[in-house]
Amino acid sequence: MGSELIIKNLHANIEGKPILRGVDLVVKQGEVHALMGPNGSGKSTLANVIMGNPKYEVTDGEIWFKGENILEYSPDRRARMRLFLAFQYPMSIPGVSVANFLRRALEAVREGNKPLEEGENPTGKMQKRKTVPPREFRTLLQAKMRLLKVDNSFINRSINDGFSGGEKKRAEILQMALLEPEIALMDETDSGLDIDALKIVSESVNALRGPELGILLITHYQRMLNYITPDVVHVMFEGRVIKSGGKELALELEEKGYEWLKPTQEENGVAANA
Amino acid sequence: MGWLRMLNALATGFTRDAVVELSRQKGEPEWMLQKRLQAWEVYDATPAPLGRRGDLGTLRTVANFKFQQLTPYAPVESTALPAAIQQSLQQTLVDGRSGLIVQHNASVIHSELVEELKEQGVILTDLESAVREYPELVQQHFMTDCVPVTSSKYTALHAAFWSGGFFLYVPAGVEIEQPILAQIWIDAASSAIFTHSLIIADAQSSLRFVAEYTSHIAGNQPSLVNDIVEVYAKQEARVEFSNLQDLDQNTWNITSKNATFDKDGSVTFVMAELGSKVNLVNIGAELKGNGSAGELVGVFFTDHDQRFSISTLSDHASLSTNAETLVKGVLTDQSRVEFDGMIRVRPKAQQTASFLSAHGLLLSKKARGEFIPGLEIAANEVSASHGATTGQIDEEQLFYLMVRGIQRPEAERIIVQGFFEPILQRIPLEHLRVRLRRSIIQRMSGTYETEADTWVDAQERWEIEGVDEGAVHFDKPRADEEIILQEY
Repeated sequence: MGSELIIKNLHANIEGKPILRGVDLVVKQGEVHALMGPNGSGKSTLANVIMGNPKYEVTDGEIWFKGENILEYSPDRRARMRLFLAFQYPMSIPGVSVANFLRRALEAVREGNKPLEEGENPTGKMQKRKTVPPREFRTLLQAKMRLLKVDNSFINRSINDGFSGGEKKRAEILQMALLEPEIALMDETDSGLDIDALKIVSESVNALRGPELGILLITHYQRMLNYITPDVVHVMFEGRVIKSGGKELALELEEKGYEWLKPTQEENGVAANA
Repeated sequence: MGWLRMLNALATGFTRDAVVELSRQKGEPEWMLQKRLQAWEVYDATPAPLGRRGDLGTLRTVANFKFQQLTPYAPVESTALPAAIQQSLQQTLVDGRSGLIVQHNASVIHSELVEELKEQGVILTDLESAVREYPELVQQHFMTDCVPVTSSKYTALHAAFWSGGFFLYVPAGVEIEQPILAQIWIDAASSAIFTHSLIIADAQSSLRFVAEYTSHIAGNQPSLVNDIVEVYAKQEARVEFSNLQDLDQNTWNITSKNATFDKDGSVTFVMAELGSKVNLVNIGAELKGNGSAGELVGVFFTDHDQRFSISTLSDHASLSTNAETLVKGVLTDQSRVEFDGMIRVRPKAQQTASFLSAHGLLLSKKARGEFIPGLEIAANEVSASHGATTGQIDEEQLFYLMVRGIQRPEAERIIVQGFFEPILQRIPLEHLRVRLRRSIIQRMSGTYETEADTWVDAQERWEIEGVDEGAVHFDKPRADEEIILQEY
């Protein structure tokens, strides 16, 4: 049975301000889900909360992955369970090469979901880890780079440091290809890309698509869905998923905008009174 | 081994009588005794520096140190290299050095220099012997222009009680490619150890000097290292002085390092301040010669209750001089670091270019850093810039690494490595770079050293296997597809 990411009634705040107000969503391995919605509807927050970003406080609800409630797990443990987030704004880390970083990440992810929470190891130190031999790593990375048509010069550069917008997004996809997640969250991967870059990134995602990979594709616009056909489309509004449908829902949104989906004032009034 | 005689330790405490006794035991010429006595007067009459109001208090802490509980002179009788030094020597500079000089406590116990350099007139010896054998050179350069006796109370104390010491003279035109290694090893408890490096690079000569300071003081009573480094770069001379200070937590350290430049001379100081309980560092470049250039590359790492005060000075006194000061450090636990970086441009120093940047990265909420850059500019054709910052580790960067499966302690370590790496790249000697990386990672990992080793080994493996591309078989090997793995 494939892995499932199940989100139940998820509520989350940032600095006391509620952003997620009861999200329900299920993404299965092998499926591509598009999550659409206007700015400020909580899409990026959802991705961050699923990965355990400490900036956000979860006030209610559950996140299940592979049959475990991962809400209390640290971000690294979630990643080692093969959850992945392609960031909307990838951080640059000067002085750390992509190659070294990716090799460490690969080693970590291959260790899998071990209870290596901080504090559980009384010394607070690392367990001795099984390393990925440089040759094996290089061969693997080489193959992924060829698949994604990424330039070799990438890997000796500092992580995202001085990368153009398009390069950053492609570096995220390269990481995704290498780390082989079971569920990947892609946060506005299309934003800031010109049409050529968008095509390349979309082709890359399509190349990775398969029964082993579930994708939650977060996007503001329909345009990426011209290249990546989703199995399911969800619409998020004011911290909730308010509508789900097939790929034709995306086209409908493109045509009509989000206005028609907004809850009526009457509904809002009812909600406010309730 | 003519320089080593049977000498007796002095009684505890610094006194004028102790100065006289020390000089008598060493059989010094009268001028050196007089220099010591004058220095003693200065020490006695000078108040200890106390720092500014509202600073982190390192200078006041040093001022309250119980100097009078120290033995001012701790000679050793054996010339055998301590095992720890032998081990350290095996780790470092396996691929050649021009010379080696070792001080154990107050005594220089070993000195060697390759024959070729001896024939060219290079002198490497202990400073006590140099006083007897090269009195003119010593009289002219020892604590006169570079670090004058009167620089501070602590330099005066040093001048009154110095012993051992390194003396290096490189004649005009002689270029020394392989570094000269100096080791200072201290294990005398409750003692003041005075270490001195006097380096004279005559016109158009060049040299590299690497000094490593280590200590292992048993018991609870701290010892003090009072260190002075004087570098004279004569016309067009090039000097590279690297310093790895890895003293233990039972050692206090006061060091003044300065370079004096003649026309077109250049000096690079590499400063790695890792150890000691309380550490008072003054490091300067006196750019007196037209066209001279000074560079300071500094790295520090503090943890536990360590307290550092680091002051740098780029003193531009002539036409068309350059200086660059780059300092980076990590503070963790309850440690505190004060950094004062001064650029001074005197009226005659037109066409000056001076740059200073200092950054402290705080890994703990309890660590405190105070970084203050200063500029005094009295000339008008000047290009000078400075920046000094301290900041906590970036939580968003940490989150990014953790989302890739890396645990927080390791993510912190990766960020720290990235923070240091650009400055480590500025260190010319590769073995020092590798040692520093290893030290930093070991400090980040506490006692868990195997993990530090895997990272460094990985690093070295990259470097080794990266060039061994022939052994790797791709489906269709093509030159432009090869991943060239560099030192990151």
